[in-house]
Amino acid sequence: MTVHDDPHPESEVEDQGLFSLNESVSSRAYVADIWKRRDFALSLPIEELQSQHLDTFLGNVWHLFDPVINAGIYFLVFGVFLGVGAEVDNFILWLVIGVFAYDLTASTISGGAKSIAGRQGLMRSFRFPRAIVPISNALGHLLSFGFQFLVIIACTFATGIGPSRRWLLLPVVVLLHSAFNLGGSFIAARLNDSYRDMQEIVPFVLRLMRYTTGVMFPVETFFGKNALIDFVVRANPLVQLINFYRWVIIGTDLNIGLSALALIESFAILWFGFRFFRVAEYKYGKA
Amino acid sequence: MTSLSVKVDDVHVDYEIFSERRAGLRQRLVGGKGSGRRVIKAVNGVSFEAFRGDAIGLLGSNGSGKSTLLRAIAGLVEPTSGEILVSHEPKILGVGGALMLDATGLKNIKLGCLAMGMTRDELAEKVDEIVEFTGLGEAINRPFKTYSSGMRARLLFSISVSIQPEILLVDEALAVGDRNFKDKARVKIESLLANAGTLFLVSHSTSEIERLCNRGLWLENGKILADGPIADVIAEYGADT
Repeated sequence: MTVHDDPHPESEVEDQGLFSLNESVSSRAYVADIWKRRDFALSLPIEELQSQHLDTFLGNVWHLFDPVINAGIYFLVFGVFLGVGAEVDNFILWLVIGVFAYDLTASTISGGAKSIAGRQGLMRSFRFPRAIVPISNALGHLLSFGFQFLVIIACTFATGIGPSRRWLLLPVVVLLHSAFNLGGSFIAARLNDSYRDMQEIVPFVLRLMRYTTGVMFPVETFFGKNALIDFVVRANPLVQLINFYRWVIIGTDLNIGLSALALIESFAILWFGFRFFRVAEYKYGKA
Repeated sequence: MTSLSVKVDDVHVDYEIFSERRAGLRQRLVGGKGSGRRVIKAVNGVSFEAFRGDAIGLLGSNGSGKSTLLRAIAGLVEPTSGEILVSHEPKILGVGGALMLDATGLKNIKLGCLAMGMTRDELAEKVDEIVEFTGLGEAINRPFKTYSSGMRARLLFSISVSIQPEILLVDEALAVGDRNFKDKARVKIESLLANAGTLFLVSHSTSEIERLCNRGLWLENGKILADGPIADVIAEYGADT
C-alpha cells in the first residue's frame, strides 16, 4: 500500500461528532424515525394501488370483485352444497365478513413475506427504517380492505340488520386485527429474507388457517367434538378476531375469556414480530 | 483545523453467494456443508480517513470492491467487521437504483424525497425545483420504466442533491448522463465541495475523476493499493494497467 504525505497531521484533526450508521438504536428512536417518515409509509401503498391493475379493463374494481367472487364460491360450496348455511343465522353476511377479514390477514402476511425482496431498488437507493417496508405493505392491504368494507355495509343493510352502537368499536377491532397482521408480516418478512423457501410455504400455512379459523363454517361444527382440538383451534387469535367483526356487525356470541386471550396474543405477536424483524435490520437489501 | 467526515477502520465486508453447482439435497440437509454457499470478501481490511472538502476518486478494476465500500459507507450494508464512522448521513447515488417502475417520474421524485425523510411541506416546496433540475420536461409524467438509463440517472441525481448532502457518494451514476446534464451535475458537486462537503466518486472515466477529485483511492481485491493526491494515484493506476 502506498501512502503519500498525510495532508492532515494527527494533531490538527478534529473528529468530534462522528457516529456509526450501523449502531443499533433504541426501539423508541426507531419508532420515532418511522413516525417521521409516515408520509412515505403511506404514499408507497397509495401509489402502488393506483398503478395496480392498470393493464386490466376493469382496473381497480378488481380489488372489490376478487373477494366478492371468492365469497360467492364459498357460499355455493359451503352454504348450498354442504348445508352450513342452515346452521348459521344470516349466513351470507356471516360468510362475507369471514372471507373479507381472513383475506386481509392472508394478503397482508403473504405480501409482507415478499415485501423486502420487492423493494430492493428502494432500499439500495435510500436509507430508512426497513420496518417501513412491511408496514406500508400492511397499510396498502388495509386501504383495500376499507373499500371492501363498503360491501359488508351494503350486505348489512340488504339483510335488514342496519347499524348498531357496537359499530363504534369497529376501529378497535381493526386496530387489533392490524396488530396481528403486522406482527405476522414482520415474522414472514424476515424469514423469507433468510430463507427464500418461505414464500413457497406461506401459501400452505395460510390455506390451512383458512379452513381452521371459521371463515366459511363455524369452528364448532367440525372441531367441537374433541375438547383439546377445540381449544387449540379457538385459541388461535384469528378465530376470535374474525368473530369480533361478526359480533360488532351481526351480534354473534362473544367468548370473553378467549377474546381477552386473542387481545393479548395479537399484541404479543406484534411485539415479538417487531423485535424479530429488527435483528436483521442491516441485512435487508444487502444482496 | 480540519475535521473528519468519514472514518473507515479496518473494514471487511463479506458476501455469501450461492454457487451454481449445489450439493445434493441430502448433503445440504444433513451435512450443513456444501449448501452451495460461498463467501466472497468484497472489502478486505480497508482503513482511511476522509475530511470535509475532500473529493475522493475511487479507482480499481471491476469487482475490486469500490461499490461495496461505498454502500457500506452509506450504511446500506453492514461491515462484517471493522467500523465506519460518519459526521452526517451520506447520500448515495448509484446506477440501477430504481424506485417504483410503474409510477411516473414525478411520483418517484415525491417518494424518493419522502424516503429521505422530507415532510410533505418540505416536499411541496422543493418539488418544482427538483423537476426543473432533472431537465426531463414532459417526460416527468411518464412511467419510470419507460426511462432510458440516462434519464433514470438524472432523476435519481436530482433527488439525492435536493437536500444539500454533506457527504455524497456517487457510483458511476454520472457516466450515463448526457453532456448537458454532466455539466449541471458538476456545478452541483462543486458547490457541495465549496460548502465543505465530502465527495466519493466511483467512475471508470479517469478524466472525470481527475476533473472533480483532489484525492485518489486505488482499490484492488478489496484492499487499498494507493491513497494520495489524485494525480499521483492516477499515475500509479495508469502505470499498472
